[in-house]
Amino acid sequence: MKIVVCVKQVAMLGDEVEFTPDGRGVDPDYLEHALNEWDSYATEEALRIREAAGGGEVVVVSAGDEDAEDAMRRCLAMGADRGVRIAGDGIPAGDPITTARALAEVVRGEGADLVLCGVQSSDAVQGATGTALAELLGLPRVAVVKKIEYDHAARKAVVHRELEGGLVDVNEVETPAVITIQTGINEPRYATLRAIKQAEQKEIEVVEPGQLGPPAASVRRMFVPPRGEGAELLGDDAAGVAQRIKQIVEERLR
Amino acid sequence: MLAAEVPTRETFANLPVWAIAFWYFLIFVSVCAFAWGVWRLARKYRAGRGPAEPDRPAERLARGARVVLSHSWIRRRDPLSGLGHLFVFYGFLVLFVGTAILMVQDDIAGPAGFEFFEGWFYQAYSLFLDVFGAILVAGLLLLAGRRWLVRPPRLDYRRVDGGPEDVRGRYVLGDRAFLGILFFLALTGFLQESFRIAETDPSFETWSPVGWAVGQAFIGIGFDGGAAELAHRINWWVHGLVALGFVSSIPFTKAVHMLAGPASVATRDDLAGRRLVELPPDAKPEEVGYQRITDFAPRHLLQLDACTKCGKCHEACPARASGYPLSPRDLILDLREVAEGSLGLRSRLGVEPRFDAAAPLVGNPIRPETLWSCMQCMACVEICPVGIEHVPIINQLRRGLVERGEMDSQLQQTLETIYTSGNSFGEAKRKRARWTKELGFEVKDARKEPCELLWFVGDFASLDPRNVRNTQALARILHHAGVDFGVLYDAEKSAGNDVRRVGEEGLYTSLAEENVKTIEGCEFGRILTSDPHSYNTLKNEYPELGAGWSAADVVHHSEFLLELLERGRIVPKRRLGYRVTYHDPCTLGRYNRVFEQPREVMRALGLELVEMPRNRDNSFCCGAGGGRIWMKELRDESAQRPSENRIDEAVALGDVRFFTVACPKDVTMYEDAIKTSGHAAEIELRELSELVLEALELDPVAVGAAPEP
Repeated sequence: MKIVVCVKQVAMLGDEVEFTPDGRGVDPDYLEHALNEWDSYATEEALRIREAAGGGEVVVVSAGDEDAEDAMRRCLAMGADRGVRIAGDGIPAGDPITTARALAEVVRGEGADLVLCGVQSSDAVQGATGTALAELLGLPRVAVVKKIEYDHAARKAVVHRELEGGLVDVNEVETPAVITIQTGINEPRYATLRAIKQAEQKEIEVVEPGQLGPPAASVRRMFVPPRGEGAELLGDDAAGVAQRIKQIVEERLR
Repeated sequence: MLAAEVPTRETFANLPVWAIAFWYFLIFVSVCAFAWGVWRLARKYRAGRGPAEPDRPAERLARGARVVLSHSWIRRRDPLSGLGHLFVFYGFLVLFVGTAILMVQDDIAGPAGFEFFEGWFYQAYSLFLDVFGAILVAGLLLLAGRRWLVRPPRLDYRRVDGGPEDVRGRYVLGDRAFLGILFFLALTGFLQESFRIAETDPSFETWSPVGWAVGQAFIGIGFDGGAAELAHRINWWVHGLVALGFVSSIPFTKAVHMLAGPASVATRDDLAGRRLVELPPDAKPEEVGYQRITDFAPRHLLQLDACTKCGKCHEACPARASGYPLSPRDLILDLREVAEGSLGLRSRLGVEPRFDAAAPLVGNPIRPETLWSCMQCMACVEICPVGIEHVPIINQLRRGLVERGEMDSQLQQTLETIYTSGNSFGEAKRKRARWTKELGFEVKDARKEPCELLWFVGDFASLDPRNVRNTQALARILHHAGVDFGVLYDAEKSAGNDVRRVGEEGLYTSLAEENVKTIEGCEFGRILTSDPHSYNTLKNEYPELGAGWSAADVVHHSEFLLELLERGRIVPKRRLGYRVTYHDPCTLGRYNRVFEQPREVMRALGLELVEMPRNRDNSFCCGAGGGRIWMKELRDESAQRPSENRIDEAVALGDVRFFTVACPKDVTMYEDAIKTSGHAAEIELRELSELVLEALELDPVAVGAAPEP
């Protein structure tokens, strides 16, 4: 059994931000980096499935520069077996589709029984990579999952999706499949710094991305929105609220 | 009866030869049982990990002898029971030496034709032993009266930590048996002497005052001659058999503390708790910390047996006093049950409760919440009369938990935050020295310029808004005094003292190594800090990591402020005159014995310092230490927080204006506790630097002097 977990080293903002001179990114001096929170849950879930099965391999895949290996190390320290990093210099920031293209090639090559991703990354917050990856791999996809009952022999999984208002949507999905993991599905184990150091012994293979095609998205401008004059209460008449929102949006777009 | 004219007595009077031979046989059996018991103990301790032989044996032996003979540790904070124990100890010791002298006479000097047990020597011997026998009895009565009539709470074995009480009945039985047997031995010893005197009434026996008085009483009621001889004969065997039984039982009962106590005092780590031990770099996951009883250092296994259940730690522990599921006494006793039930005689004899030496300690019987309750404040280690190292033991047990990732999510998050951002607040590096911008003068960057004083600010003093005011006050004072100082700006990371005390040794090492590297790249004279937690680790732990400074090069701001005052580099412009009290921070006071410097600073400012009942080495932890400030609450909500308990103590002094502290964590804890305990109208918090600033009549830094980011 092989589970591939796609992870990302995310950038975290402090309460102070300055942008790069071109206005399209944040000055790296103002950023701290860490493993994306959702991905730590995905890694934990993969490890638990492996432990319950009594064997198997958990492979961590990430597209990013060398610093991304810090995030991967953390997953390896938690217990993942090995990592594959796709040298990410050519992948535009904030382009989930291109990222998915890069990941798809590696994940396909691994021949995984399950592919786990976080629902979203905490820095870009697009929630698109996992879904795009499933599409590119031609696999079924289940998003925002809070519980997995995986039956390796039957090649299927019963997954519980979290919906609004506390509703739970239970699906059965054939595997291999791509599942995006919601926080709270488990309690990710703590990777001690000792384990992180010892994880340096574990292999992280670095591969070049293949043909990625034209970028699917790019950042045009980043800015701090001007501070508003205070909130406007729109009342509780649904139609009236919708009308007012439409009006506001139109004003702003003008 | 010419012989009776020479003052002496016959050791085996009234005994036939076969009885004497049988007696020697019994002695042999008893000594063998004793030796076997000691050997079993040694074997148990050697089942622990690491070397069993202590370093610097001569020095340790001298320390052990000094502490045991002076009873200095036993007498602390309870002079009456200390006196009782002193009486029992010396009474027992003198009677033991007395018996040994008899042995020398009968078995060595006598057969060689040398008789010294007569005349003046015999009379002096008699007097001496009678007096010390009486002292023994007095001590036993004192201790028994205290235990069973006064009943101090700390001798109550009922558990407050929610653990099992199944063996507590045995403890009570053990106490009764121990005191009872000693009392019985003393009593039958005096009776033996009295019967002998009643039998023949030798005139020289007035030198045995107790025996003579009782003997005369026997004669007075006609209990003399043959009757006394018969009683003497019977009592001889009763006393002798109980005495031999007692000797053989020492390694197996509460009396084991007579052996393990002094050994524990002698072998205790001098830097216990202040400097925790490093992990071997190649340790496998199962070798990290104390996960099984066999992971314990032999010294720590010995300490478990040294515990006398005196309850001083139980009484001092702030966790116990505040409804946390921890009593240091009960933890040590639980661990002792495991050691004895898995490695000791009990496991071998198959007596319950037994434990598996290979099984993890956490779960059965040690519960994780017990270990996480500890504030690592050292109150228990400080007061333990036999030198048990509760704090390092708890720390080792925590390391095992951390290694297996077993910790509460809040703590896990904080550790991850410290890993990513280098501080426990999760703030960006560049914010660390933000406080310098509001000062109105430049603070040197110690990385770029040499300075006399390298100021290691620490997380709380750098990043917590209330503490930043004190940090700025201190900077003002230093600037005013013309001190050449610098800070590390964004290169400073959390010192790691509390990360280490939580048990995350890897993260501590990484933080410490980075800080050491940064500091080593600077040119400076001494290191200053206002944070006692950073102070402890910089002073006692960093030098182990190859730091090029010694403990003496690290100064706390209370020490440094006193230096400035004494050298006249700062001169108070006015006497403050407030009535204040001072709370000793655990890591400054108990850990590093800085008790008087902050007090002297306060006196120099003209403050009227009144002491809380628990002061100096008996200071009561604020509840933040050992990483507790980062963890979820484990306290029974009906109990009072340690910090609130402390504020109550200060308010009870009456009319105290300021609760003074010299630790950033205390500032945070007590600012909060003053409000939550409802005393905000009566008492206010002041950090030492704030008071100095006020006395120098320097303006505090205006809040919000710097533009918003």
